[in-house]
Amino acid sequence: MEAPPCSQVEELQPEQEHGSSLVVGLRLCDSAPLLWRFQDLKTVRSNSLVGALLGSLPRTPRQNIRLGRPLLLMPEEERVLREHHGAAALSARNQDAAGAAELRQRYEEEQQRSLEEQSILALEDRKSALLRAMTSSSGSESGAGSDEALQCRLLALEQNFSFPRSALAVQLSTARAGLSHCQEARAFLEADWPIREQDSPRRDARYQVFRDLWGRGFFLTSAGKFGGDFLVYPGDPLRFHAHFIAVCLTLDESICMLDVLSVARLGSNVKKTVLLCSPALDGSVHYTSLQWSGMM
Amino acid sequence: PCELFAARSRSHKIPARGQKDFYPDDSEEQRQRLQQSLDEHWNLIAEERVERLGNLVKATWVPSDQIVELQTPAGKFWQTMGFSAEGKQYLLPEEALYLMECGNLLVFHQDLPLSIQDGYEMFLSSDAVSLQQYQVFGHLKRLGYVVHRFDPSSEPSSYVRQLNLPQSRERGGRQLKRKRSPSPTPTCSHTKTPGESLAEKMEDDDKLPESDLMTSAEPPEPQTASPHSAAKGQARTWWMMDAPELEADKRSSPGSPSGRLRWNFSTIPFPDLGSTSRPRCMVPVDPSLLPRDVTVGVCDLDSWMRKINLRKVKMSVKEQQREKRRRRWDVNKDREVQRCRNWAEYHELLARRQAKRQGRPAHLWNREVKPLHDPTQPISTAELLEKISVVKSTNLLEGASRLKCSEEWRICFNVYQPDSVADFKKSNPGKPYSRMCVCSFDGPVPDLRVIKQLAFQSGDVPIVYAVVDYGDISFYTFKDFQLPRDVYA
Repeated sequence: MEAPPCSQVEELQPEQEHGSSLVVGLRLCDSAPLLWRFQDLKTVRSNSLVGALLGSLPRTPRQNIRLGRPLLLMPEEERVLREHHGAAALSARNQDAAGAAELRQRYEEEQQRSLEEQSILALEDRKSALLRAMTSSSGSESGAGSDEALQCRLLALEQNFSFPRSALAVQLSTARAGLSHCQEARAFLEADWPIREQDSPRRDARYQVFRDLWGRGFFLTSAGKFGGDFLVYPGDPLRFHAHFIAVCLTLDESICMLDVLSVARLGSNVKKTVLLCSPALDGSVHYTSLQWSGMM
Repeated sequence: PCELFAARSRSHKIPARGQKDFYPDDSEEQRQRLQQSLDEHWNLIAEERVERLGNLVKATWVPSDQIVELQTPAGKFWQTMGFSAEGKQYLLPEEALYLMECGNLLVFHQDLPLSIQDGYEMFLSSDAVSLQQYQVFGHLKRLGYVVHRFDPSSEPSSYVRQLNLPQSRERGGRQLKRKRSPSPTPTCSHTKTPGESLAEKMEDDDKLPESDLMTSAEPPEPQTASPHSAAKGQARTWWMMDAPELEADKRSSPGSPSGRLRWNFSTIPFPDLGSTSRPRCMVPVDPSLLPRDVTVGVCDLDSWMRKINLRKVKMSVKEQQREKRRRRWDVNKDREVQRCRNWAEYHELLARRQAKRQGRPAHLWNREVKPLHDPTQPISTAELLEKISVVKSTNLLEGASRLKCSEEWRICFNVYQPDSVADFKKSNPGKPYSRMCVCSFDGPVPDLRVIKQLAFQSGDVPIVYAVVDYGDISFYTFKDFQLPRDVYA
């Protein structure tokens, strides 16, 4: 069942550089910020934040090439969302007894309704299949004889038809349904997303660099495998290769020559330029690119 | 509901990803391809799992035990996942969550079905299975591996496996028993530590554990807690596991899996005589560890020390032939020796032969500082290298037994290969293919201490470090390597 168009909970003035800024609902799972609702994922991507998908893909769960919801945000992405007032906390699962009883009843009713409707659909399906089979087999013959036989068969089908409960198609929802029970539309957003990050010069430097590059329209993902902080894409990662490996350093941090060599080597092996990035005191960021060139 | 019904005939294929572009130009063609990719992407992401109610196994979440109890019989997954206890079928939370994501399981809590989001939020937390650990678990399961939790206490050591003792695994029984402890996470801390250090003669080393393991490896009766093993071990209980739990369990859960006494070797310190830093002396054996009426004297270490840490020297073909000839050579067959009529003549013969060989320059050998090796003496390259080496080479497990367990680092999972699924038995899974330790690029890099300690804990199964980087997982492993020291002619 596809999600009906999500109704916007809050709408703020659209940002200059990016698309419309709707508020997305975040939930913490083991202190990691996750996005569950399909519409939230779309919103976040339209703001050139990529995130990382963690779950199995419903269509083909037993492979790792394409994953599905939830979407995990990097701390920098989370902070950017929060600072632009685009993030809020979704409510937890309703655990209290009173609410639960009501929900249970609603669930039962819905299951029953679904069963009845599906039963009708299944019967229709079978009837049309029968019709097709009969008319195709008796294509050349004509007359009332075959018509009558057809009517008999249809009647018999209707009388003997049964739709067992085990044949009921149910949905295992990915995201939790809100109180309104409309699968993914309205969900109660409790409060503004709180400040979670611990302060450290390293984290701060990373964030400054992230914000600067993001502001210029680049898409950024994590680059642990490449020995850097971020992978910088000129456009959506679905269609473009990354250009840079960004390594974030504070201005006064000293870096060992061996580290420079190793990251430069790695960059040339994977055909990406290494960017050493350091945020300056005035808010701008200094970039130094490394290029491996031999001595002739 | 009509959408649900229509979902029965959904395609099960995912579109292949096309080639990526390098640079964004503002071309319409590029924009279109991007839009197409995005649309495909959103279609896949938005899809929900729809299943026939009859195909779904139903279960309930039991938060007090952090376990999922099956309400309808398990399906094919039962071959490699889950455990039975007290006549019911259970799944561990990470297994249940994985099956939910595959669309095979429907879990209820308070009579309402849980969404995948509910599952993540309720089953995963840093004290049970963390999100990162679940990421690794899911990744491996999706590839087809069989992944079980690692429990250091119930892993048979390579020694036990060598003895080929029958082993039974109580996978879940452990989880249920832990109503008192916080989580199934095994901890390394010892319940009781011995007052003095113990030492045992090497022969006792071999005999004692063997005899006791035999008694405790008797097939346990399923539903009755066997009291006889508790009675036998009256004199020696503090270093055995399960003994205190046995008493408590007899009262609390009568149907729990039988108490099988096992030696907890981590609380009995065995002196590490194999390491290069030798213990100064051997304390005499604690009499409570010995059978009655057996006394043991002081152990003479030196003769034993000479017999251990020997490495087999790899010989080239020529050397092997030489060795064969040397062994077969009988001094009495030498004609010149046969001509000697007495010892004096024999000594002269030897002296003559010695003189023939290139002698040792006297000025080198007469002083305090002598050459390291007499060139007239045969020596293998390995031994020579040993003589001139300043740094001794070592192996990974050297000294590892003395290391205490670290708080942060632990082995999480045992991983078994996918092709073994056909004859996989949960009660006796055999030796795992590897063991996983989950960490992240944000955290510290495992230092030598951690690597040694975990490698020791794992025995002869290699350890793989799964490093989680948000959505990405990289696997690293450290292999022991010895520089070759023998030269072949």
